[in-house]
Amino acid sequence: MSSIILEARNLSYRYPRGMDAICDISFHIRKKEKIALVGPNGAGKSTLLMMFNGMIRPDSGIMLFDNQPILYDYSSLRLLRKRVGFVLQNPDRQIIAPTVYQDVAFGPTNLGYSEEEVRDAVTRALHHVGLEGFERRPPHQISGGEKKRVAIAGVLAMDPDVLVFDEPTSGLDPSGSENIMELLDELNNEGKTIIISTHDVELVYPWADRAILMLGGKILQEDIPEVAFGNPESVRMAHLSVPTLLELHMELQKRGFLRNGKKPRTVLDMMHCIETLLGKSRSHSSHGTITVCNVDLDNGILLSTWLSARKDISVGAMGTRAKQQAENLRISLDFTYGVIDKCILKALLGEDSLILTTESMIKRVYKRVVAYGEESGMIISVQPLNSPPEAVNETTGSLS
Amino acid sequence: MFEELLEDIAQKNGLREVNTYLKLTAGLGSILLCLLSTSYIPPLFMAALLSGAILLLARVNIKTYAELFIFPLWFASVSVAGIILITGGNEVFWQWDLLPDFPLSITRESINRGMVVFCRVIGGMSALCFISLTTPMTDIFTAFRQCRVPAVVIELMMIIYRTIFILMDQIIQIYYAQIMRLGYSSYRESIHSFATLCGAAFIASWDAGDDLIRAMDARCYDGKFALLGENRPVEGPPGLAVAVFLILSAAIVIMSGNISLI
Repeated sequence: MSSIILEARNLSYRYPRGMDAICDISFHIRKKEKIALVGPNGAGKSTLLMMFNGMIRPDSGIMLFDNQPILYDYSSLRLLRKRVGFVLQNPDRQIIAPTVYQDVAFGPTNLGYSEEEVRDAVTRALHHVGLEGFERRPPHQISGGEKKRVAIAGVLAMDPDVLVFDEPTSGLDPSGSENIMELLDELNNEGKTIIISTHDVELVYPWADRAILMLGGKILQEDIPEVAFGNPESVRMAHLSVPTLLELHMELQKRGFLRNGKKPRTVLDMMHCIETLLGKSRSHSSHGTITVCNVDLDNGILLSTWLSARKDISVGAMGTRAKQQAENLRISLDFTYGVIDKCILKALLGEDSLILTTESMIKRVYKRVVAYGEESGMIISVQPLNSPPEAVNETTGSLS
Repeated sequence: MFEELLEDIAQKNGLREVNTYLKLTAGLGSILLCLLSTSYIPPLFMAALLSGAILLLARVNIKTYAELFIFPLWFASVSVAGIILITGGNEVFWQWDLLPDFPLSITRESINRGMVVFCRVIGGMSALCFISLTTPMTDIFTAFRQCRVPAVVIELMMIIYRTIFILMDQIIQIYYAQIMRLGYSSYRESIHSFATLCGAAFIASWDAGDDLIRAMDARCYDGKFALLGENRPVEGPPGLAVAVFLILSAAIVIMSGNISLI
């Protein structure tokens, strides 16, 4: 298990107008974890988030970052804020400069980077969130989802270890929300710790490593999402709702259809439960193949010819750059979120699919498919379209 | 909204990539020449050329451009009418002794004077439109920095520029919310609603200011603001065009001398 990066010990905070915002909260967050803070309005989520980068100083208790108590002098706070990036709920309030470039460059400039380094950091951050070419645009001329991305890029440009998001999906359309959640996944995959606050139980349920339910400035429950959201009592108290999949699973369990087992996090897990229930495992019929294409390699022509030979294949893209390349090559995407699971579902139906993704995410595809294979006993083959073959043979070997 | 419209056009106009100083020179030079001119001809000449550049080179929609002129022209007409009536002269066409020692008259001199002022307004407006429709504010900030305007001033300008749009957005939302609940149905109601609107806008901007400080602190604000430092180099043809335009205009200013309408 990785080491602890953020820790709260008996934090309490009272608003200036006298109301208790946080009452005696203790918890810890480990490196590379994905944490969701959930709870009703006024539960103290935002206040707690703002303690992570020293924006709010607790009245009592201590906050530790990397096992060191947070100090509230000017230079320590600067150091802390470089390492803990904070993205506000309203991107309009976060974006301060008149152009996208200037806004993303704000952090690096204030950290004293040279002009060259600033330009590098901005280019990298904008590349990361898929907004290349937006440098000179004024923020009021771009869409809500794009503004959110600019706000995230502004924080990414400082290369923090921990990213804190206050309601990252508020005000976005469903596909915009999914794209942001996927971006968070991508960042987490690169080793960043992600902490978000949200009301959206359905979105966070399959995403989070751990959920912290908050109510009235206290922690109601803190556990893996299946457990945290699986307790109807605390879910009701926190003014939330039980995720549909979990509720369905619980109802099936109550009727004696399912034994106590692993609770489903995704539709794929649920399908597995149902297939086990019906005893109609498809392990002997032929499965489809998942092909993975590394978009970091220059392979537009290969990809286009490969696709034109397979007209009916389902295509999914994981990550911002993959989606961008799909758009450049005019490939219409069938899946843009939860891509691996959806492709496994296709494979189980005997259909082939293609996943466009970046170098760093390819490992995740294999890992997920192998994990599914071990769990369900079904073998699904994954093959690379263009990755160096020797690097992948090993993994496919373990699959087939 | 109006100001957003101007910026929108400026961001996408056909002369966006031309060097900022060149565009500013053309615009400010014309304004100066309009003021120096004592005849009505040079401002009209410059207005015609600048409007041509706005419509044909920057490819601004002619209707939008015409709409920009309506309000200033109306204002100019009223002022010029005043000038014509108040300015005295030797060759009187019409006179009315409104009050003792305050005659209203139309004279040859007053008509000529009014004509010059009116044409200067048209010339100046075209020059201002030329600058605002071809040069986005963000490019002007860069130019300011290169001209050694103090960093504090530029920073303030940039924050104000950014905040105007956010505040405008909020004001529009509050305004719509008031209209929807019949806030402007009567005169009395209108005054009351407008007062509430101002109050709400004040609170909103105060809030936004708090958030601004928080957002800047969260990103380690240390008194520095990045600028998009790039400016296009001066290219031959546009540079030549601006030079020819200004020299030609200056020549006309000198040659036209005191040529008057009547």
